[in-house]
Order: sequence, then C-alpha cells, then structure tokens
Amino acid sequence: MTLLGLLLGGWLLTALAPLLARWLGHRAGWPLAAGLLGLAAMALMLGYDTTVEQSVPWIPSLDIALRLRLDGLAMLFVALVLIVGALVMIYSTAYFRGKPTVSYYTLMTAFAASMTMLVLADDLVLLFVSWEFTTLCSYLLILRSGPDAGPPAARTLLVTVAGGLCLLAAVATIVVRTGTTHLSTALADPAWSEDGTFATTVAILVAVAAMTKSAQFPFHAWLPDAMVAPAPVSAYLHAAAMVKAGIYLLLRFAEPAAHAPAWSALLITVGLVSSFIGAVFALQRTDLKALLAYSTVSHLGLLTLVIGVGTTAALTAAVVHVVAHAAFKSAGFLYVGLLEKRAGTRDIREVGGLWRSMPLASVLILVAAVAMGGIPPTLGFVSKELVLDGVLHGPGLWLAALVALSAAITVAYSGRMVVSTLPGAPTRLAPASGTWPMVVAIAIGAVAAGTFGLVAPALDPLVGRAVAATGGSGDVHLALWHGVTPALGLSLAAIAAGALLIVARRGVDRVLDRRLFPVTGVGAVEAVQRAVQVTGRRLGDLTRTDAPAAHLAVPLLLIAVLGVAGLVALTPSWEAADSTAVDVALLIVLTGGVIATVVARSRLGAVIAVGVAGFSVAVWFFTLGASDVALTQLLVEILTVVIMVLVLRHLPQQFGRRSVRRAVPAAILAIAAGVVATLGPLVFTGRAELSAVGRWFVEEGPVETGGANVVNTILVEFRALDTFGELVVLAIAALAITALVEARPRVTRPVLPSVSSLLAPAAPNAVFINVLARVLVPLMLLGSLYALLRGHNAPGGGFIAALIGAGALATRYLGAPDDREAHSGLPYLAIAGSGVVVAAVSGFIGYAERSFLTPLHADILGYHFTTSLIFDLGVYLAVFGVILGALDSLGSPEEPAAKAGDRR
Amino acid sequence: MTGALLPLFVAIPLTAAGITAFARPGRRWPLTVLLAVLAVHVAASALLLGATRDGEVYADGVGGWVPGIAIPFAADALSALMLTFTGALSLVCCWYAIASGVGRVRLFSPLVLAMIAGVNGALLTADAFNLFVFIEVMLMPSYGLLILARRGQGTERSVRGSRLYVTFNLFVSTLFLVGVGLVYATAGTVNLGLLAGAAKEDGRVAAAAAVALAALAMKAALVPTYGWLTRAYPSTSPAITALFSGLHTKVAVYAIYRLYAVIFDGDERWLLIGLVVCGVTVAVGAIASVGEQSMRSMLSFSMVSHLGYILVGVALFTPAGLAAGIFYLLHHMVVKAAQFLSAGAIEDTYGTDRIDRLRGIGRREPLVAATFAIAALSLAGLPPFSGFVAKLVLVIASIDAGQVLLAVVLIAASLITLLAMLRVWNAVFMSPVPEGESSTRRIPWSLAAPGAILAVVTIVLGLGAQLLIPLTEVAAEGLLDTTTYVEEVLR
Amino acid sequence: MILALSIGVLVAGAVFLMMSRSFIRVVLGFVLLSHAANLLLFSTGGTSRRAEPLGKSLDPVLTADPLPQAFVLTAIVISFAITIYLLSLAITGGRDEDDEDGDDA
Repeated sequence: MTLLGLLLGGWLLTALAPLLARWLGHRAGWPLAAGLLGLAAMALMLGYDTTVEQSVPWIPSLDIALRLRLDGLAMLFVALVLIVGALVMIYSTAYFRGKPTVSYYTLMTAFAASMTMLVLADDLVLLFVSWEFTTLCSYLLILRSGPDAGPPAARTLLVTVAGGLCLLAAVATIVVRTGTTHLSTALADPAWSEDGTFATTVAILVAVAAMTKSAQFPFHAWLPDAMVAPAPVSAYLHAAAMVKAGIYLLLRFAEPAAHAPAWSALLITVGLVSSFIGAVFALQRTDLKALLAYSTVSHLGLLTLVIGVGTTAALTAAVVHVVAHAAFKSAGFLYVGLLEKRAGTRDIREVGGLWRSMPLASVLILVAAVAMGGIPPTLGFVSKELVLDGVLHGPGLWLAALVALSAAITVAYSGRMVVSTLPGAPTRLAPASGTWPMVVAIAIGAVAAGTFGLVAPALDPLVGRAVAATGGSGDVHLALWHGVTPALGLSLAAIAAGALLIVARRGVDRVLDRRLFPVTGVGAVEAVQRAVQVTGRRLGDLTRTDAPAAHLAVPLLLIAVLGVAGLVALTPSWEAADSTAVDVALLIVLTGGVIATVVARSRLGAVIAVGVAGFSVAVWFFTLGASDVALTQLLVEILTVVIMVLVLRHLPQQFGRRSVRRAVPAAILAIAAGVVATLGPLVFTGRAELSAVGRWFVEEGPVETGGANVVNTILVEFRALDTFGELVVLAIAALAITALVEARPRVTRPVLPSVSSLLAPAAPNAVFINVLARVLVPLMLLGSLYALLRGHNAPGGGFIAALIGAGALATRYLGAPDDREAHSGLPYLAIAGSGVVVAAVSGFIGYAERSFLTPLHADILGYHFTTSLIFDLGVYLAVFGVILGALDSLGSPEEPAAKAGDRR
Repeated sequence: MTGALLPLFVAIPLTAAGITAFARPGRRWPLTVLLAVLAVHVAASALLLGATRDGEVYADGVGGWVPGIAIPFAADALSALMLTFTGALSLVCCWYAIASGVGRVRLFSPLVLAMIAGVNGALLTADAFNLFVFIEVMLMPSYGLLILARRGQGTERSVRGSRLYVTFNLFVSTLFLVGVGLVYATAGTVNLGLLAGAAKEDGRVAAAAAVALAALAMKAALVPTYGWLTRAYPSTSPAITALFSGLHTKVAVYAIYRLYAVIFDGDERWLLIGLVVCGVTVAVGAIASVGEQSMRSMLSFSMVSHLGYILVGVALFTPAGLAAGIFYLLHHMVVKAAQFLSAGAIEDTYGTDRIDRLRGIGRREPLVAATFAIAALSLAGLPPFSGFVAKLVLVIASIDAGQVLLAVVLIAASLITLLAMLRVWNAVFMSPVPEGESSTRRIPWSLAAPGAILAVVTIVLGLGAQLLIPLTEVAAEGLLDTTTYVEEVLR
Repeated sequence: MILALSIGVLVAGAVFLMMSRSFIRVVLGFVLLSHAANLLLFSTGGTSRRAEPLGKSLDPVLTADPLPQAFVLTAIVISFAITIYLLSLAITGGRDEDDEDGDDA
C-alpha cells in the first residue's frame, strides 16, 4: 500500500466509473462512494500520523516525476476531498434517478482523482497538471448540464485557465531559479529569502492563480456563472473541493511566499474585498443557489485573508475554516438540490412552510445555516472566532472590525435562508419517495458542521499536522470556549448585528434591490471575448484577399526598405572595369524590352516584348562565356513564347485599364526594388578569381570525367542530384498541368478573327509552315539526338537536345491547320514519368560502384560511354514530356480532358 | 547502416512517382504503391532514428565525388525525427485523402510521392543549392495537389488560392535562390560543411545567408508575410490542407534551424531579431484566429501563431530552447493535422466548414468531436496532451534564457488560442441539432479514424513525453555543436 | 556594373508587373524576375573571366566559373516548368483580372 496505489486507485475508479454507470445506471454512485471512502481510509492508514513520500519517474530528462507526498496538509485535504466526494456520490444515486449518468460519474470520479493528485503532488509539474485537470473536469461537468451551458462553461474555463497559466508561469520561474521540479526542495530553496524579485514574482503569480480558482475578486464572476451545473456538482466542485484547490495552493506556498511583502498585502486586500462583496451579493440574492455561490466567494475571501496574515493562529484558523466550510456549504448546496427537485424552484420568495412539508431536511438546513453564520456551538463558530483572533493578533483591530462586519452580513444571509422559507404557508412539494440518500448526504455534512464544534479538541492532531506543514507551529489546541477574549466580543457583536439585519430585512432588501456594481463579472469576461474577436477579425481583414499583388507587396516592401538600408551600409563597388561595349548595348535592348512589356496594352504585345527581354538575357549569357546556358535560355524563351501565345487565345486581347491609384505606388515599389537589385550584385559579387570549387572543376573536372564540357559534367555527374531534382520538377509540371485542366474547365472565349488569323491560321495560310514543318521536324529531331550524344564534350546535353526536339513539336503544332490535328497523340504523362524512372535507374546503377548516381564508365566499340548518358536520356524524356503536355493541354480551344482522357 | 543509402529516401519515392504516372485513370494500383512506399519510408526512418539517437551522423557524398564537390546528404537525429514524423503523417493524411475521394483522383499518387521525395531531399541535403532544388521538387507536386479534384469539380476559389500560393512560393523560392547565389558569391561554396560558421566570421556571408533565411521565414509564414498561407490553405480540399500543414512550412522551419545552426553557428548577435519576429507572429496569429468565420481559416491563423512558437526555439539558441522548439515542431505537426482532419471530415460530409452554418456536430459525431477537442486542448497547451509538454519546455527555456516578456507572450497567446477553439467548439459542436433537420448524414468511420489516430498520438506524446524528449535533446545538441555533422559532411 | 544595372532594370519591371491585377502580367513579371535571378546567379562567379569552360586543359585565370553556370541552367529549367504551370492557371481561373477585393465572406 503506497501513495502511488492511492493515486492509481483514484484513476482506476475513474476507469471503472463508465462501466459501473452503464451497468448500474444512477445506482453507480454507491460503489463509487464506497471506492472513495476506501481510498480515504487508505490515506488515513498511510499517513495519519506520519509523512510519507514516494517518487516514480515520469519524464526523467526534465527531472519531472510522479513525486507524491502525504503530509499533514495533504492529509487534511485528501480526507476532505474523498469524504465529501463519497457523500456527493451517495446523494447522486437519488438525484440522477432515471437520467443518463455515464459522463457524470466518470467526470466526478476523475475530478476526485485529480484533486487527490493535486494535494499529493510533490512535483511542480504534477501539481500544475492536476490543477488543470480539475479545471477541465469542472468545465466538462458544467458543459454537460444542458444546452445553454456552453457560454457560461466557456467563461468559467477561460477565467480558470488564465489563472492556471499564472501557475504555469510560476512553476516555470521556480524551475528555472531553483533548478528542480521537486516541490518540497523548491519551497525550501534559499532563493525565496535571497532574491526579492523572484519571491515577489512567484508570490503574485501563485496568488493570482489561487484567486481565479477560488473565485476571488476580481475573478469571482465565474463561480455564480458555474451554477448552471447540477447541485451535486456545485456542492462538490464549487463549494467543497475545487475552489479549495486555490486555498490549498496558498497554504502550500504560505511559508516561502511570505518572504515577499506583496504576498501578505495582496491576499489581505483581495480576501477582505471578496469576503465583503461576496457577503453583500449573497444578501442580495433570492435564488438560494446564487446566494450560496456568493457566500462561497465570501468565505473563501476570509480564508485568503487569514492566509495572508500568515501567523500560526491565522493558519490554524484557515485550516479549521476549510473543514467547517466544506461541511456546511456542501450540506447547503445539496439541500438546495433537494429543494429544487421537490419544490421545482429554489427562489426563497416562492417557497415557504418547509418546516411542515419536509421537517427533517429543514432541521438539517437550519443546522447548516447556523454553522454558516458562525453561531455557537457549531464548528463555524469555532473557526470564525479563530479567524478573528488571528487577525486581532496580526494586523490588528481595524481589520478585525472589517472582518466582523462581513461576518455580520454572513449571519444576515444565513438567517434569510431559513427565516423566509421554513415558516409560513406550506408550498406544494413533489413526493419524497426515494430521496432518502439525498437526505443522508445532507445530514452528514450538517451534523459534522454542527457538532464538530463541541468535540473540537478531537480535531487537534489533524489540524495541528496541517498547520505544521504550512510552516506554523503544530501545537494546536482547539476549543469551543476560549474564555472571554476580544475575538469573542467581536464574534458576538457580529452575530448581534446580523440578527438586527435579519429583523430589518425588508429595509435591507429595499436598499440592496439595485445594481450595486457598474460592471458585472460576466459582462467583463464577455467584453474581453468580444474585443479579442473584433481585433482578430480586423487583423484577418488585413490579408483577406486572394490577389497575388497584395500578398507580394509585403515582402517586396520589406526587401526594398531593408535592402536599401543594408546594402548602403555594406558599400557597393562601382567599378565598371568588368564591363564591355557589348554589355552596354545589351542593357539598352534589355531595358527596351522591359519597358515595352510594362507599357504594352495588348497581351500579345506584352508577350512579344518579354520575348525580346529574354533573348537579350540569352545573349548576355553568351557574352559571359556560357554557350550552354545561352542556348538553353534561347530555346526556353522560344518555347515559353509559343506556349504563351497558345494561352493568349483563351484571353481577351487587351489588358484592363490600369488605375493611377494603383500604378503610382507600384512604380515606387518597383524602382526601390530595382535599386536594391542593382546594389545587391555590386556589393556581393565581382569575385576576381575562381572560387576553390570552381577552380577544381576547371582543372580536375575533365580529368575526373573524361568530358570536356565542364558545365555539362557538373550537371550530369558532379551535381547530377540537382539535375535529377530539376527533371522531376519538369515531369511533375506535366502532371500538375494535367491535374489542373482536368479539375477545372478552362475559360473559353469566342476566338476572335484577328487573333485566329495570327495564331491559329486557317488551312490555306498554314500551307507554308506546313511544308516547312515537314522538312524541319525530322531535321530538328535528328539535331536533338545529336545534341544529346555530344553533350558530354561540347555544348548540348539532355536539356538542349530535348528543347530542340520540343521545338520540332512546336513547329508542327503551329503548322497544323487545326488543334485536332496538332495534337501529338503521344502519351506525355508516360514519357515524363519514364524520364524520372530512367534517371533514377541510372542512379541505382551507381550503387554497383559506390553510391547513388555514381557514373559507371565503359568503352564500347572504341567509344567512351558512361551511365550519365542514360541519365541524360532521362532528362531528355522529362523535358520532352512536359512540353508535349503543355502543348496538348493548353493548345486546344475545346475542353481537352474529354478528348485527351482516353488517350493518355 | 551506411550513409550511402540516404539518397534512397529520394530515389525510391521518385521512381515510384515515375511509375505511377503511367497508370490509366481509375486504376487503384498506384495507391497501393503509394501506401507501400510510405510504409517503407516510415520503417526506414524509424531505423535511421534508432541509428542516430546517440548523436551519430550518417552522410554520403552523392555520386561518390570528393568531399566539397559532391552534393552531401547527411542525417542526424533531427533529420531522422523529421523524416519519421513527415512519413507517418503523410501515411495518415493519404488514408484520409483516399477515403474522402481526393486520393482517388488520378495523379494523386505520383504527385504525393514526388512531394514526399522533395521533402525528404530537403531534410537530408547538406548543400544550399540542392536544398533549393528539393524545395522546388516539393512545391511543384503541391501545385498539382492544391487543385486536385474530380473531373471538372475544381472550384474557382481553389484556382484563385493556387494562383496566390504558386506566385508567392515562386517569389520566395527566387529570393532563396538569390540568397544561395549570394552565399556562393561571398563564401565560394554552397556546401554546408564548408560553410560552417562562415556567417559568424564574415559579415558579407552573414548578409547573404540572411537573404536565404528571410526567404525561408516567408515560407514559414512568419509575420508580416503570413497572409498567403491563411488564404491559400483553406482554398484547397481538406485532405490536402492537412497534408500540407504537416509538411510544407515545417520543411522551411527545419531549414531555418539547420542553416542558422551551421552557417551562423548560432551567432548570438541576430537572435533578438528572431525573438521579436517570433513573438509578434505568436500574438498576431493567435488573435487573428479568434475572428475567423470558417474552421480552416481559424486553424490556418492558429498555425501561423504556432509556427512562431516553433521558431522561438532557434531564436533562443540554447540547449533547452532548441530541444523545446524541436519538440514543439513535432507535436504541432501531429496536432494540427489532427485538427485539420477533424474539421475536414466535417466539411467533406456536411458540405461546409463555416462556423455559422454548422450546428450540433458534437451530438451527432462524438468521435470527430473528441478528436477536435483533444487537438484543441493540446494546441492550447493543456495537460495531459503533447502541447502541454511543448509549451512547458518552451516557456521554461524562454525564462531560462532571460526572455521573460517572450514567455509572457507565449503564455498569453495560448489562452487566446483556447478562446478561438472554444468559439468553434461552442458554435459547431455544442450547439443543439437544428430543429427539423432529419438528415441522416454521418461522417463515415474511414474519415473519422485518421484524425482520431493522431489525437491518440498527442496523448501518447503528452503522457509519454519521455519517448521523444531525449531524442529532441540529442537533435538540439547536434545543432549546438555541429562538429560531427560538419566532419561527416566533409568526409 | 552594367550587369548589375541590367538586373536592376529587370527587377523593377518585374515588380511593377507583379503589382498588377492581370494574372498574365503577374506571370510576365515572374518571367522577368527569373531572368534577373539567373543573371545574378551567374554574376556570383565573377564576370571578368569570360572564357568558356570547354576543353580539357583550361586556364583558371581566364575561364568563367562553371559552377554558377550549372546553377543557372538548373534554375532556368525549373522556372520554365513553373512558368508553364502559371500559364495554365491563367486560363483556368475564370478571370484574368482580379477583383479589387477578393473577400469570400
């Protein structure tokens, strides 16, 4: 029997809960209650008078473990959580009669397990995980309560998760500062006393986390919001257990956090405000459930306050009040559930005469209310006197007086619960049949709250060990009667004032019957939600367009601004030494082409102008000593223009009008980008000598490969992988185009005469090209084969060869009298695909020697062959495939897929 | 295990792509090939992961040329992790695609295979120019996948989205190419082994490499260049969105990690820029996601936010930061795909993903609702899901590096993420089933299961974070100390 | 320096075209942009050595750097493939000219 067993027991019960609920229905509460009581017994046996620890590795890399520790404080809370849990389970067997209970029982058990884990956790991360588990259970339990529960559940979740994130920040800060996730070690770290910033930061974060969980001002709004959940959920989560997680956290951190002065100040302020406004709001409410919810805010405020005081007396008061509050508040909520079930309402104005219609329950709620009001001889009286005593011996009389004032209001609303419902004319109630488990559950809570005051010393060991665990002295002696003390005086004064308020309740109601606060908590959370949503919508609007220009402008602007700044800083070199007269001529032609493209009004004109620019770039390459590149550029340019012309047939001749509003900023951006693009090369390029790699290629390349065309050997041997990728891009382009034209019918436009005469010549006009094509096509195909073979040693290679071959096709296409005949009928997808396969196969052959794409050499009939020729063939096929595909898919004016589909 | 086998990660899918391109319409065998190749890929990368888990690096000069000349392929724990996750994710997304119909459109198989090959090449190459080529190999098939639809069923929206996607990516690729060119101009090489630390020593190399990194940041959809992603991703079919979400931006992210680690040697002088950009991205993406009207738009903005989270790791460049960033990267791949798949299952079945038109899905589709909820909570960083561990380690790393403000942004943005998720959750899932809707439409099991599997993965990675964290630590170590990587690349 | 100016002119033209509403113009802009990128890529090897890297015994002092040439060849072909794809997108979109706003709401 270990702590891990205790923990796993809780989760095992959670796993069993859905099965039990499916099997037993609402009666599943009985075995679950028994299970929880069993766990409680186990906890008591393990650690009633000794502290036990256990650690099981979880994420050793991060020093996170299932570190468990059952000390006095954990013992108290474990007992509380499991015993109240069992009561609620018993209650539920009657409350949920005939209702679906699978998710209810599962979540309630999961919550009990999470709470147990939370209070046992001796690891910061485990603590946080459990903390968030309880939040999630609460959210889901509220959510499942009805169709309108979504928004309040969401608000509850948001507030509690926000607090959870503060805890996360605290955990992360502690882990970073103390270097451990072990809670006990971290709490004992000297950093708390030595590093004021650290202590203050963590203290505030922990306090805020606890404030959200315990519904403290200004985060109190979620608790009344959460009251849409059914009574047992409210009783357990929102009165006895979950909201106490915040108090537990405060108690756990009380000792080290007290090193930060902000801790005490914050807790006392927040606690006082919460206790006061909670009490006032409770007094204002006529809905019993809302009354109890605000009462919870108020009592938790009192707890927060005394923890802030932090003396042994104050901590003792906190611990006792935790027990007292759990007892009378759970009884209260459970009673409201019973009342609602039988009377159909929980508004105190609508019920009366309950003395007669449900006498036993009335006695019980009277006891609970007396305890809540802190009237002797209940446990509530004992704890309240301890609170007052703690405050008197800490901050002093002024604070004690304020606490007493809030206590007076507490007496008033506690009284109101009973004086306006028990006497009077009886309300009609539904029959009591089968509600006895509910009454039993209420009775246990009420009796505990009512009688523990009389046997207060019996609680000494439990309370004493809990106080000791929070850093106080464990030498605690509880008693109902402490003699005549100032605290007793204040307590009695509060009771008297409260009694007056009850007597004068009509007047009080008149005063309170208005909005006391300009903003409600619910409204505030909703306003924040809306504000974020509106901001988000506006942010999204910034990019809500599909126009490429809008999206491209952003990076262009960035480049223009950053580029000019950066490049000027890097000082460009303006030397013109490496330029020749031909260069200047090329610049002029190029500029002409670019300008013509930009200003062209017709699409065809723009395409031709772009062709001019492209040709001049090709010549640029030639003058720079790259005939392969120049040739490729030239052929690519021709094919691009041919395909563009084919495409243009589907589009209007003229561009739309350009608006000045658009053109001016575009021109400014263009010029800025042009400046950056001019400065860039001046700054970065202009290498005078060959790079080491370039030199190696020039000197060693021909030797290594036996090929004289260095560029080609780089392409098909040294960097064949690049080329492989590139041919894949080509082949896949064929596939992508096919996918596109199949998925989406092309735009159609009536073929205008002027364009058709130019681009799709009628049969007679085509005669010339036709004849020419007949001669040219075989010649070009032959040439293409030649280029393929000689590429290794002279300009040529797979690309150029294929481009020449494709040029033949383009010629044939242009020469054909109509598109139907122009269709090559070749399976271009297969050609493109086989290009990839052939290239890959030549790569696989390389494994025979060393590695992928290692070329193999062989001399056949006196000629030197390498496997890179096979590779080049793959390149050839891929290029050929894509051009064929483009011509066939884009060329025909009709829906191509219908015709092409069966052929391919 | 030998480095010479690494090129097979590219060669085998490409061969398969070439072969499946032959298939006639309506044939199913290409799908078999696709799934088989992906299965082999996952198995092989898992083996690779096993072989690199102690910091080993495997490399191969493709073609067997001398070091510095050959294009090197290299795999360390980071590459292996990425390969494993991208492979597994592709497998799941392909299953969904096939079930939803897109996968049965002709050419799906060759396009996906080629794309996977491009991803693998980009993850393995140690050569900047070759990286450009493989990014193109990845992108070209994506263009085809983006508009893939049954005959004549492509929408105008998908074409407009494609136009945006293609032009933006082409622009960014061109910028990346220019950056690579400038690196060659200043450093005289594009081999990562030879470039090791070059940008730390020479300001001009740093400026040149910065151009390439800026291009990658645009591909990774960081602020201010994120709009293309949030517009283009929702425009395609849900299956393809899910597939892309796991692969594309993640390859750019990987490349940023790798290039900054190797070329800049983690130079501390520029990290602040990264932190600011990432922090703003985290915030902008999260806030914008709250305002969206359709699930996939919301998820796309949320993705932008999380890309910011992921890159915080490299911007911190501490052991904890890098490991956290890598963990976040892997977690996010799984979870975002889970969410896109659950949203997609709804869209593919109910015909819309608009938040205001869907009602009562939670009651009708418990499995899909559970998937969405788990993924949402995981994204928001709640335990016990992988997102919690990811956020925790990242926040701890930020605070550890003294970036408290950043930690605050990271934490606050996760609350806003939760808000965005809750909005969809309440409207789409928790709302009552509309009156009088007697529709018997139900999401078929085959559409719900892929997302559900990924949801299980996020739970496993959350509770069993120990499975992954040591590996991310080894991967981070490899980025901090690139000696082994560089040595192997130049061997 | 003249080469740098040429690159600048190409980029300026490209950017202006990319900012227009007509998709064909955008495509033409990208054609110019890829020219600019290729010229830049070429210039990274230095433009003062202009002898062709052809032959078995080359003089490293005069010969142009072959590696950027190979890069340019690869880049030309890749951009060619993408250009073709862009062109097919131009005629499947429905419209060539964008709306001023493309909101789908």
